[in-house]
Amino acid sequence: MYDFHNIALTPTQSLLLNVAILSVIVFAVLRSERRLDGSNPLLMLAILAIFGISGRILLEPLPNFQPVTVIVIMAGVYYGAPRAVALAGIIALTTNFAVMGHGPWTLFQVLGWGLVGVSGAYFSDYILKEGQLMLNRLAALAIISGFVFNWIVSLSILLKTDVSMLAPYLINGLLFDLYHAAGNLIFVAWLATPLSEIMTKHLDSSSPKAVSEPVSSTL
Amino acid sequence: MSNELKPISVIAVIVLILLAPTIRDALREEAATYVSDSESSHDGLPESWNNSQVMCVLFPTDSPHSNFNSGVTMIEADGSTYGVNTEFNGTGACVGGFTGYTEGMPFLLDATNATSGDLDVGYDVGDWGPYVHTIGGLNANNLTGNFSGAYWELLHNGEYSMVGIGDLIMSEADVILWRIGTW
Repeated sequence: MYDFHNIALTPTQSLLLNVAILSVIVFAVLRSERRLDGSNPLLMLAILAIFGISGRILLEPLPNFQPVTVIVIMAGVYYGAPRAVALAGIIALTTNFAVMGHGPWTLFQVLGWGLVGVSGAYFSDYILKEGQLMLNRLAALAIISGFVFNWIVSLSILLKTDVSMLAPYLINGLLFDLYHAAGNLIFVAWLATPLSEIMTKHLDSSSPKAVSEPVSSTL
Repeated sequence: MSNELKPISVIAVIVLILLAPTIRDALREEAATYVSDSESSHDGLPESWNNSQVMCVLFPTDSPHSNFNSGVTMIEADGSTYGVNTEFNGTGACVGGFTGYTEGMPFLLDATNATSGDLDVGYDVGDWGPYVHTIGGLNANNLTGNFSGAYWELLHNGEYSMVGIGDLIMSEADVILWRIGTW
């Protein structure tokens, strides 16, 4: 018998493989969304969770390059803080348990992404103008979130060391903060528009925010 | 306006990738200035080493090193033996009298080389940098006992190091200590 699972891949090859798998997942998820009848915000959150979880796991070889931060911001913008925080928790816990490693830092990641989701909800009127996504404003929030999230997670080292280690740790990590910010910019530039079109379709019918179609009530 | 975001995002990533080594080096130097020098990490070491960098290796009671099994042997950078401190908590060896190292891995290799083979290091290079499994003939992976697994634990100036030896930033008078940790 040949052991076909025993093929050794170089890091680049396995990354390409992961990107291919992620593309299949995203394509399949987007196709399945088309079959949904009407508005279904909770199912949309499940779709975002699948996308966030698979994206974070499969892009793991690239340092700090993952779609979770942008997804959580957009969940905050479109569905409000509570659902964004829940989404953040589900993604962080699932990915850490499955692959990335679970520990005290998971709590800090949930808090970090939770805060990112809350800020998305807080700035939702500013980012979403009459149902139109203000891409540049979303990009600005995504870049800032990259830094803030990393710093919140960095605080977890205080469980093991004293405060004096924090400054060198944060300075050393600045390059990874930049990776995270640049990754977020990429995801906003290339994914936010298609994602927002789907999310607009699945808004809460009772949501006072974001109107899916511009209302022309003035005469 | 928003259509410009795609090329901008790609350019930003390319620039970041190109500048990454420069940024990393600059940040390391900056971060090194913040690493506090703990006086107490020099306790029990020769006073002449107070301003120099030191590497200590402590062996577990169950698996002592054949040449360093009573107290901690103090070895100068040139390989000569300074003396043995029997008051030290544990057995093993310290190599000291080094200056000018800023990165952990070259320091580990040079310091252990000074012991003419007694503290030879074995390590694997993985995705996250070098992983030290053997020091002085003791492979942590082979240790068994009332624990799930054992590893060579790295302490930097008496504190658990947050990074591996491959990412460790050193300043003058730093003390690096290796001992067996278990989980």
